[in-house]
Amino acid sequence: MSPRRRRLTGAAIYGALTVAIFVALFPFWWMIDTSLKQPVDIFAGVSLWPQHITFHNYGRLIHEYHFDSFLVNSIVIVAASVAISLVLGTLAAYALARFKLRFGVDRLSLYAVLLVRMLPGILLVVPLYIVLAKWGLLNTRLGLILIYAGLNTSFVIWMMQSFLEDIPRDIEEAAMVDGDSRLSALRRVVIPLAAPGLIATAIFAVIATYNDFIIALTLTSTPVAQTVPVGVSTLIGKIQIEWGPMAAAGVVGALPIVLFALVVQRHFVRGLTLGAVK
Amino acid sequence: MSVASAEIGEGGTRGWRLRAAATPYVLLVPALLALAAVSLYPIFYGARASLHRYRYGIDMGSAGKQNYVDVFHDPVFWEAIKTTAKYVVIAVPIETLLGLGLALLVARELRFVSWIRVTLILPMTIAPVVVGVIFRLLYASDIGVANPLFEKLGLGTPNILARETSAFLGLVAVDVWEWTPLLFLILLAGLTSLPQDPLEAAEVDGASRVQAFFHHTLPLLKPVLLVAITLRTIDAVGTFDQIFVLTKGGPGTSTQLISIYAYNTAFTFTQYGQAMAMLIALLACLLLLMAAAVHFMRRTSEAVA
Repeated sequence: MSPRRRRLTGAAIYGALTVAIFVALFPFWWMIDTSLKQPVDIFAGVSLWPQHITFHNYGRLIHEYHFDSFLVNSIVIVAASVAISLVLGTLAAYALARFKLRFGVDRLSLYAVLLVRMLPGILLVVPLYIVLAKWGLLNTRLGLILIYAGLNTSFVIWMMQSFLEDIPRDIEEAAMVDGDSRLSALRRVVIPLAAPGLIATAIFAVIATYNDFIIALTLTSTPVAQTVPVGVSTLIGKIQIEWGPMAAAGVVGALPIVLFALVVQRHFVRGLTLGAVK
Repeated sequence: MSVASAEIGEGGTRGWRLRAAATPYVLLVPALLALAAVSLYPIFYGARASLHRYRYGIDMGSAGKQNYVDVFHDPVFWEAIKTTAKYVVIAVPIETLLGLGLALLVARELRFVSWIRVTLILPMTIAPVVVGVIFRLLYASDIGVANPLFEKLGLGTPNILARETSAFLGLVAVDVWEWTPLLFLILLAGLTSLPQDPLEAAEVDGASRVQAFFHHTLPLLKPVLLVAITLRTIDAVGTFDQIFVLTKGGPGTSTQLISIYAYNTAFTFTQYGQAMAMLIALLACLLLLMAAAVHFMRRTSEAVA
């Protein structure tokens, strides 16, 4: 290619990417913009910058719409369920990565893991609702923690298995020759080496759990256990829509994840890719 | 420490050997039980519920196959299936083409490439409910940007979510905005792991960019492409969140996907039995796609390894 043509293609590529980035980001900006506006300005026609910046909409989320409870619920539920699933899933992934199991148990386990990842949420919530009602776990954080812990375990096994397979066996065998039991070799030697993989896995699990809607929607009914996405949806459903607080609620719902994405960029992208394909 | 003593440590006595053989199963069982509790158990419980009659949410005993017969003769169910099929068949190909195009643009030495990548995937990382909020704000007839934009283009004010066709297309557009990044991400990963030699050889041979793409890149990318498309198709069939918060299936039944109809049947009309009959029928269809996805994924992971 001539240098002139190469420069032209270069410009075309950056031009196309600029359009793509604009399409990806503008909707976010419109939400942030609306959330910082006063009601008068919201109705004053399209303006891409708040005329009089106000944080009143965010204050109202806490004072009128229970967003403090939603946030606390989300944090507790995400932290507990991701922690449980990381422990259960990593142990299982280790077993799958290191041992040849009988009767094709290893193969079958991985298929089961994949199938769980692909089941649509609506299929699970109807029976889960009936069962949780029986056990008195409807509208409790505990009920959600248990369910998310189980569901997250599927992709923890899936992702950690491939990370653990990449760690050479010699290292832990050396530790075992030095007198470690298998579990202490796993804890002292293998886990530290798998830390980047563990982080990517944890990130994926946190996002999936924080963002989930249908399970939290059907299994909770009051701010005692409702999570952020459910709280956000209660603001959209209103007949007399309050645009400002609704936009602010959207920002609160998106912010933790977007910050996460920008701060731990590399692990984040890796987690997302691996969560989707191996 | 000598090798001999290590062997005693691993397999000295019979009891020790048994314990060592049991280790992987002991590690595996808690996770598999947890998984079964939230997947297999609900599916079996749900299949059982699909054979029972419910009244005001209370189990009234066995109904035989009546729920399935009712669902089969329910025109709204078939309409929901048709709407779902239309939604998937329109959205997924658009997402695939756009995702592939973007991946091809980014898969080269660019400045700021990691920032471009993380920016482009932001839509898929936030909660679908928040995506719903965003598009509620964009589509709103009084405060949104969609109406003024269409007016400027001389297309009138469509009030997107208020009319049947435009509401349906508006929701497809939401899906495209949200999930093109997934296709982009997977295909980008696939493209960057491709061997570069055949491409370079093709360029030496004087093949044009387009020829090189169709003869070399696309065939090599096919396994990853198949995985991405089947996974996205399965997820798209179950789409619920954005539609629930944006239109609840309306206006009329124009955006009532199968998941929304099943939700209403179960939680608005407390007909758990009928809802589960629909969902079990849906699962039966999805299982084929899931088997295909597992098959494609095994092939790609073997190819990569």
